[in-house]
Amino acid sequence: MAGSRLEKFGTVFTRVRDLMRSGVLQQTEKPVWFDVYAAFPPLREPVYVRPVRIVRMDAKDTVPEILYKEDEIRAKFFELYGSGPKVFDLTNTKFVSTCQRFVDKYSALESKGDVAPELLMEETGKALFAEGVMLRRKGGLAVEAKTHSSLFGMKLADMLAEQQVDTAIETSASEEHQQTVNNDRSTAS
Amino acid sequence: MAAGIRTKAMYSLRSARWVGSALPCYSRPCASSAVAANPVATQQSRDAGVNEKILHAPLTQPDYFCLSELFTLKDLFEARVHMGHKKGCRHRLMEPYLFGCRLGVDIIDLEQTAEHLQRALNFTAHVAYRGGLVLFVSRQRQSSHLVERTAHDCGEYAHTRYWQGGLLTNAPIQYGAGVRLPDLIVFLSTLNNVFQTHVAVRDAAKMNIPTVGIVDSNCNPSLITYPVPGNDDTPVAMELYCWLFKMAINRAKDKRKQMELLKGI
Repeated sequence: MAGSRLEKFGTVFTRVRDLMRSGVLQQTEKPVWFDVYAAFPPLREPVYVRPVRIVRMDAKDTVPEILYKEDEIRAKFFELYGSGPKVFDLTNTKFVSTCQRFVDKYSALESKGDVAPELLMEETGKALFAEGVMLRRKGGLAVEAKTHSSLFGMKLADMLAEQQVDTAIETSASEEHQQTVNNDRSTAS
Repeated sequence: MAAGIRTKAMYSLRSARWVGSALPCYSRPCASSAVAANPVATQQSRDAGVNEKILHAPLTQPDYFCLSELFTLKDLFEARVHMGHKKGCRHRLMEPYLFGCRLGVDIIDLEQTAEHLQRALNFTAHVAYRGGLVLFVSRQRQSSHLVERTAHDCGEYAHTRYWQGGLLTNAPIQYGAGVRLPDLIVFLSTLNNVFQTHVAVRDAAKMNIPTVGIVDSNCNPSLITYPVPGNDDTPVAMELYCWLFKMAINRAKDKRKQMELLKGI
């Protein structure tokens, strides 16, 4: 059976059609799929596309980012509370995570409109706590962190100044002590 | 190098099971006066007429085998067909089929996928209806057993092992003269184990064999006749595709048997 092995020119259909037109392939040798393709062609002609050698650096990304309005709320939630107390169950399509509940409550409160925008995060936290969801803040060890930073923040000059102040207090205290001792001596004699 | 058992069957010419397929497609004109005197001619023309009905009638209807009832958009979503690879792995020719990119992961547009899948299944069913040979190809080790089982269940062929260079292009010498090549190749994954396009895609185009293929966001869809943009890595998605192709082919073959019985060949 004759054929055309030029996969880079035209499509499978055009090559076979042209072979039959020119008489190289007889009607009896028509492939099984030919009529089916003619009746139901694909959405795009399967022509070979040559690979682009030079990829421009400034080529714009035609695929858009998928972002939702709720993503802002989610970002704030994750920053404050970490990934939440409940483990994500991806096998269940109807699963509602802690973050999703937070987002729903936040949007509900926002749409009601009686809470100020700055206090919405706290209000949502309180509302969820009332429903029984324990949210633990991610930055929970704030006190310890402060002392650590205070130790590293101290400078030598400051330490010296403190020492001088301490010595001044000591000398004045010792002078007073001597004076009282003298006074006592004087009164005694 | 015989790497494992070859389940691919490239066998000798299938004998024409149906008389219809052996006859030429033109109808011989029979003279009105000589109808009784020329029974052979009338018999042949009647056969040709029946043959026309069997082969041509299905092509006039858009969904002859009712394949649109096999899947819905929700089924595709639950099988995670919309999950593509990361943004960095994206092939530029797949950009028209993508819905968007969510946190660096490409999401395939399922409405386009549904349309493409419908066309691909329809084509496969019609080819199987006409007695075409279908070959399932997939180099994904995870799903290789599933693909072979699918091919066995619908009476077709599968090749999920190492693809020897001249399998299609050098078939008469490798397998003997008179080998019948497949009429349709279905790729359940167009990539091979080193993330390059499978050699069979180019070879099928060379041998003028149409292809149906599941193309993920890192694949090249240009040479595939009926591409179906979709996830080719998740096991749930692979099971769905295998089931859909198996149902389409079985329906087509059953319909063919039914038509033959009805038309009385």
